[in-house]
Amino acid sequence: MTLALLPARQGQYKTLQLNMLLLSINNINWGHVWMVTILGFLMVVALLVVLIYILKLFGWIMQPKVKVSAKTPVQDAKLIKKNASSPDNDDEHDIVTLPANATAAIAMALHLYYNSVHDEEPTKVTIKKVDRRYSPWNSKLYGMNNLHRS
Amino acid sequence: MKTIRYVFTTLALLLGIAFTGFAQETAEQDSVVAACTAVAQETSCEAQQTAQTAVTEVSVWDDIITFFTKMGFVRIADDWKVIIMLFVSFFLLYLAIKKKYEPLLLLPIAFGMLLTNLPGAEMFHSELWSAFLDETSPAYHSYGTILKNGGLLDVLYIGVKAGVYPCLIFIGVGAMTDFGPLIANPKSLLLGAAAQIGIFFTFLCANLMGFTEAQAGSIGIIGGADGPTSIFLTSRLAPELLGPIAIAAYSYMALVPVIQPPIMRALTTKKERAIKMKQLRSVSKTEKIVFPIMVTTIVALILPDAAPLIGCLMLGNLMKECGVVDRLSKTAQNELMNIVVIFLGLSVGATATAGSFLNWQTIMILAIGIVAFGLGSAGGVLLAKLMNVFSKEKINPLIGSAGVSAVPMAARVSQTVGQEENPSNFLLMHAMGPNVAGVIGSAVAAGILLTMLG
Repeated sequence: MTLALLPARQGQYKTLQLNMLLLSINNINWGHVWMVTILGFLMVVALLVVLIYILKLFGWIMQPKVKVSAKTPVQDAKLIKKNASSPDNDDEHDIVTLPANATAAIAMALHLYYNSVHDEEPTKVTIKKVDRRYSPWNSKLYGMNNLHRS
Repeated sequence: MKTIRYVFTTLALLLGIAFTGFAQETAEQDSVVAACTAVAQETSCEAQQTAQTAVTEVSVWDDIITFFTKMGFVRIADDWKVIIMLFVSFFLLYLAIKKKYEPLLLLPIAFGMLLTNLPGAEMFHSELWSAFLDETSPAYHSYGTILKNGGLLDVLYIGVKAGVYPCLIFIGVGAMTDFGPLIANPKSLLLGAAAQIGIFFTFLCANLMGFTEAQAGSIGIIGGADGPTSIFLTSRLAPELLGPIAIAAYSYMALVPVIQPPIMRALTTKKERAIKMKQLRSVSKTEKIVFPIMVTTIVALILPDAAPLIGCLMLGNLMKECGVVDRLSKTAQNELMNIVVIFLGLSVGATATAGSFLNWQTIMILAIGIVAFGLGSAGGVLLAKLMNVFSKEKINPLIGSAGVSAVPMAARVSQTVGQEENPSNFLLMHAMGPNVAGVIGSAVAAGILLTMLG
């Protein structure tokens, strides 16, 4: 009898739970929930957009002012030649444009040099003398006399 | 050898069961003896003397019984949920040690969970903390009561309750973070903002599922994928959900390499994933020093509730970048961070008692948490795609998913997925921009939720 009633009771319990959930959902102030969702997200975005503009301005002020020529290296070479030939301009190192890989190579070399990463090696290429007195080619052990002895 | 081990295990279990039954039986007998003694006192003096002699005779036996009744083995039978919680803690310990899922935090959390659920250890008292929050109780907001009556974990939990640990961890996080990629490419902040959509959408979903607004806000913050921020906000808004939320947040952070790649692949084309980005400009030391000071000032003036988190994050970063307090910077990165991680992990794990953890709420939190996380990742990727429509310089949309915090795991995932399409593509530094922007974004979102719901 009890077992037969169980499913019905479970059903009632589930309905009760569902009703309670619906009641709690109805009690929620949905206007406030939507306001928090939309306004909250927009505020995060707005604050970070403000930071973007400040950072851009900040970068523009703080960025080191390096004069980089927009011309191609060939044009630059001509410009350097022209500057070198002009008597009033002897500072020909001002305008130098290098490709990125060359800059990276120079930077790496400087880094290695200043941090002494490279071992200092002798520039002589030598063949180390191996002293094998008892090799089969020169040893008396394998000579004719030994054969006699044995 | 195995057979001997099985025999010993079975024997130990049988002994445990036997002790449980025996102790309960003797406790009943003891109460009968006590009742008889009381009756004897009323009837006659002689009988009383006899009864007293009987009591002294049984006192040694009584001590042994008391000892056994105080054993955790006896108490464990009272609440079956405790046994499940012990197994949950063992499982989390397995995940931390064997699978290496965020072991630095998951291990102390799991061990805290183990300690708090050991019957009789009395290391954490959830009832004390309920009284602490109850306005009608004499122990309302009384740390003195906690210190007087609490256990070790109660004392450690004061740091969480007062919001101290998350902020101290943020000092360490700041000292380990390089904001250079963000300063070089400020647009990354937009990706960090887009990834916060998961937080607010989940807040909406949690309300629909019957949670209160404060609880929904705490659940939503899981989408920010930032452990300290989640703990900070939850300890303020819904301290009763601290255990499940902390575990969900840290578990999903550990699962970033599993959760994010399918979402990233589903939302992008092969061509988009292979986009190579322009090299970032170099950032001067002065810029790196001024950045934390500037961000703290602006954010704290606009949103004072976000000041503790942002302030501590930027303090740690300033100590690292200024270069004049190397000792402090190293301490923040190592000793301070490690000590606080132990305290935080243990005390957060301690809140996961059987009563507060084993319910439908926890399962729902774990389910909504993963939705929050996925939506955050998707939000960043989709905004990066949208930015590509309007921008001349193309952005690889994979870096958008790094907008959820989870530093630096999310950035590493962007790099790995990007290299699957184009092995010569290095997205790591580009992804670090949105990644650290996500930390700022989630702290700001926490501040907003605290202002609106707190």
